[in-house]
Amino acid sequence: MRQIQDAYIVAATRLPVAKRNGMYRNVRPDDMLAAAIRAVVAQVPGIDPARIGDVIVGCAMPEAEQGMNVARIGALLAGLPITVPGITINRFCSSGVQAVADAANQIRLGLADVMIAAGTESMSVMPQIMGNKMSMNPAIFAHEENLGIAYGMGLTAEKVANQWKISRDAQDAFALASNQKACAAMAAGYFNAETTPYLIREDLPDLQSGLVRRVERLAEMDEGPRADASLEKLGKLRPVFHARGSVTAGNSSQMSDGAGAVMLVSENVLKEHNLTPLARFAGYAVGGVAPEIMGVGPIAAIPKVLAQVGIHQDELDWIELNEAFAAQSLAVMQELGINPEKVNPLGGAIALGHPLGATGAIRTATVVHGLQRTGGKYGMVTMCIGTGMGAAGIFERV
Amino acid sequence: MNKLIVRKAAVLGAGVMGAQIAAHLANANVPVVLFDLPAKEGDKNGIVRKALDGLKKLDPAPLASKDKLKFIDAANYEEHLPLLAECDLVIEAIAERMDWKNDLYAKIGPFLSSTAIVASNTSGLSMNALAQGLPEAVQPRFCGIHFFNPPRYMHLVEIIGTQTTDASTLDALETWLTSRLGKGVIRALDTPNFIANRIGVFSILAVMHHTQAFGLGFDEVDALTGPKIGRPKSATYRTADVVGLDTLAHVVKTMQDTLPDDPWHAHFKVPAWLKLLIEKGALGQKTRCGIFRKQGKEIQVLDLGAQDYRKSAGAIAEEVEAILKMRNPAEKFAALRASSQPQAQFLWAIFRDVFHYCATQLENVADNARDLDLAMRWGFGWAQGPFETWQAAGWADIAQAVAADIAAGKAMSAVPLPAWTLEASRNGVHVPEGSYSASKNAYVPRSALPVYQRQLFPERVLGEAGATPAQSGETLFENEGVRLWCIPAVDRKIGIISVKSKMHTIGNEVLDGVIAAVRQAETTLDGVVIWHEAPFAVGANLQQVAEAIAAGQFDLLEQTVEKFQRASQTLKYAQVPVVAAVQGMALGGGCEFVMHAGKRVMALESYVGLVEAGVGLIPAGGGCKEFAVRAAEWAAQSATPGEVFNYLQPVFQTIAMAKVAKSAVEAVDYGFAKPSDTILFNANELLFVAIREARAMAEAGYAPPPMARAITVAGKNGIATFEMMLVNMKEGGMISAHDYRVAKSAAIALCGGEVETGSRVDEEWLLTVERRLFVDLLKNPLTQARIKNMLETGKPLRN
Repeated sequence: MRQIQDAYIVAATRLPVAKRNGMYRNVRPDDMLAAAIRAVVAQVPGIDPARIGDVIVGCAMPEAEQGMNVARIGALLAGLPITVPGITINRFCSSGVQAVADAANQIRLGLADVMIAAGTESMSVMPQIMGNKMSMNPAIFAHEENLGIAYGMGLTAEKVANQWKISRDAQDAFALASNQKACAAMAAGYFNAETTPYLIREDLPDLQSGLVRRVERLAEMDEGPRADASLEKLGKLRPVFHARGSVTAGNSSQMSDGAGAVMLVSENVLKEHNLTPLARFAGYAVGGVAPEIMGVGPIAAIPKVLAQVGIHQDELDWIELNEAFAAQSLAVMQELGINPEKVNPLGGAIALGHPLGATGAIRTATVVHGLQRTGGKYGMVTMCIGTGMGAAGIFERV
Repeated sequence: MNKLIVRKAAVLGAGVMGAQIAAHLANANVPVVLFDLPAKEGDKNGIVRKALDGLKKLDPAPLASKDKLKFIDAANYEEHLPLLAECDLVIEAIAERMDWKNDLYAKIGPFLSSTAIVASNTSGLSMNALAQGLPEAVQPRFCGIHFFNPPRYMHLVEIIGTQTTDASTLDALETWLTSRLGKGVIRALDTPNFIANRIGVFSILAVMHHTQAFGLGFDEVDALTGPKIGRPKSATYRTADVVGLDTLAHVVKTMQDTLPDDPWHAHFKVPAWLKLLIEKGALGQKTRCGIFRKQGKEIQVLDLGAQDYRKSAGAIAEEVEAILKMRNPAEKFAALRASSQPQAQFLWAIFRDVFHYCATQLENVADNARDLDLAMRWGFGWAQGPFETWQAAGWADIAQAVAADIAAGKAMSAVPLPAWTLEASRNGVHVPEGSYSASKNAYVPRSALPVYQRQLFPERVLGEAGATPAQSGETLFENEGVRLWCIPAVDRKIGIISVKSKMHTIGNEVLDGVIAAVRQAETTLDGVVIWHEAPFAVGANLQQVAEAIAAGQFDLLEQTVEKFQRASQTLKYAQVPVVAAVQGMALGGGCEFVMHAGKRVMALESYVGLVEAGVGLIPAGGGCKEFAVRAAEWAAQSATPGEVFNYLQPVFQTIAMAKVAKSAVEAVDYGFAKPSDTILFNANELLFVAIREARAMAEAGYAPPPMARAITVAGKNGIATFEMMLVNMKEGGMISAHDYRVAKSAAIALCGGEVETGSRVDEEWLLTVERRLFVDLLKNPLTQARIKNMLETGKPLRN
């Protein structure tokens, strides 16, 4: 089959991102997802939700509260017609942007006219970073070359820092800049267009009265950015993953809870409803690298997607490079010669947080709204992926 | 008051002592309200909350487990005084100012429960004067309760009655403090600084006086006044640094102000150099600089001659070293006196002046010499009290020598020794009937309070009546390693297994003895208790292991391990209840015995751990097996009965990192003991309670647990998941290749071998797996190097 039409993003939104065990500690990931879907559908009131061909949801640990095909549950809880199906997909940290690409491709192939792509992840509900049950394959340890599969993400960042000679100072400076950019963007209201506030409702035991106390508060802003970050404070943190390493909690992404959703439509639907798209989906590619240096995954994906779209790297106006770790972000930029000024103008995951499978959908919302605000043409969402992969998607403001 | 029941306690003042007293009450599961002033800004309980946070960081830990913090509520005097109404015990521990204390008493008076005991933790103020600040109705229930820092670890609590304190109140409080908080209670008289600080601070002043007189260095004096003479490692000047030089100066000032008639009054001042240090802000440990300081890795000491710090050395002269090694105290003291070496003369001088002071002040500060001696042992960590030392060295000779020095003007005071010390018939102050009371001119027996009947072998002073455990009871069986005995007066049918080896290490003869003793108990007794004085056991006899390795006798070693496993299984499946009475260290094989007993009665101060990794080994006396069995049992009770891995994860870390539980409570947290086990705060009560526990189990128709069969194991996937952690630690430069090897062996043993996940095995299988891995490690030269290093240095080798 060949591409028969383009896919356009007509709405993109996300909830404020919370710190792990922060303001969403009592919020379920399926509820977050439903809220994001409800919001994105509401942004395009003219389209009958029954026309949605599928709801594709990225989630990196699709189990327990976010298991049971969370896409279908989220869609139903969002009030979509029962005729609208849902599928959960997983490619770890790129799951959200993978969902956008998969949804776009359904349209590009002429298989659907309206699609929803989303991502949701609550790292608060995960008892440990590897999900609810850890179980490694003994085969990994039978051969030296597979050991990288067993590496924790932080250790891979140390390997990258070592191999690409990224100093602790450079990492801390990058982390500080991420926080400063994020705080400035929040103050300027730059996230307003992409953000849907979320009403948190908690039923808490009031031990004094013996009654259930309902507490409601509106989450409006990301919880992660630290206005008080400083090189001095960052410099005092101890390396976590290597006894003599450089990767700290301060120059790594934050563990977070969040969700985002995007609505894509075909050109026909655009015309039919006289819609102005936020962006055209231009292309998406993934590639593999050695698991022990998974952080440089974007090096494998970015050239591929640029070739696919047929543009030069310099034509990109806005790059959302997921800051899994400062070390890998800097290595990717260094290796590909990316202009740092175009990278994460509103800060990245070190400040804003990284709710794994949701991040791709969230940052898609950031880039398409950012292009609208700044008048840029091409924007990219890219990230490294555990076990050694990279993903990159390009969006064009039209 | 017949019996004190403390449903809730209040501690007033969240300073160093107040917060730690609250922590120890919490250790004993007593809910505590900890008060302090309202914070001027923010949360009004801010001061207390900060103190509570501090409790988590202090070392040694005041909390037996961090979880105990939940027993402490933060409060302030502005908002929460009505909470006092629920408190049965109120301990005031604010700053040592009479006016502040009086103000506080006036404030709390209206809120106190009509039955509460109110006690002040003052260390210097007059209790009778303090009592005046309280309503008359409260006064009979008011007394002094003087804890020593750190209160969890220092055994001594002095309680001080006033003229108006009800006698029954003191009895009830002493009983409660002894059994519930595990303290050594001494009744002190209402005199400044009470007993231990009065004598202890005088001793420090005497050391300072003679340091200068004999021209010795502070490091030299610390070398002389530490373990060499039965005192703590921190000796004198290091202790001063730890206490805080300003605090020490404050205590000395109290003596100066409150003891104008003391014949030694002229010496109640701190030396000029110490004053200068305080003025410079060099207050000791808390300012990282005092008499000692650390520059990089080097410990430096203040050198008064050079007016600067120099590397701390502290050498003892050979001649003095030889004297201090003498076994016979009389000869030792004679040699010290005869020597012209300044260090020897110094030592004699400090003993002489302390003897002189104690003899003179006994009638003023303590009811009797035993109280004074025990106070110095428990409050200052002296191995012997001053009167014991004197008596051991030959009472009359020492008395004559002291008197001669006084006459010659060598002593710090010219006041003559009290006449009783020089009585011709006197051989000491402690005799079988009791200890000498100067105020009563009589020998006073021990307290008749019923709580002390729980201590079958209390800590005795030299010369006191009472047999040692080894001399007591009836022997039922004995070999080279253990003695099985009973105390007919307590329970003729409950046997006591006591290990006889040094530090109670477990060697071949102990294993043989334990197995034989339990077999005998099964046919002739109703139950057994494993008990001896601390430590419970520091592990397997490494010396025997090293010798067998050297001789290449690995078959023999495997047989010994097998015997160890058999001994553990014998304890677990004995037909009579086996109760392990644990105190002090229970490490390695000792821990495995603890784990396999039918029940544990543990002193709070029990330090339990499987530390084999430190010598490059894994637990193989059934330790890994037992955790594999328990993980399967815990999983079986969960919603996912086959998922044992989650239950092994914390255990694996405990074993791989050789973590030691720092209290009996932590031992339960780590899984070495069970929540249903008994934790006692007073180690002296262990045997009494353990015998009764064994008796109760026997009376309840004890049967051993059913043999563990069909044990689900984590198998290969579990091992791989542990290996993932190890790969990250090794690649992260946190562990060595050999650490990895040892830890992986532990993983294999805990996961039941390299079999399919979810396989079902029996105990014999698990024992075989851990035994083979153990013997393989023994053959590894890196493990052998670790064992050698441990034997030679007592410290683990990282290789």
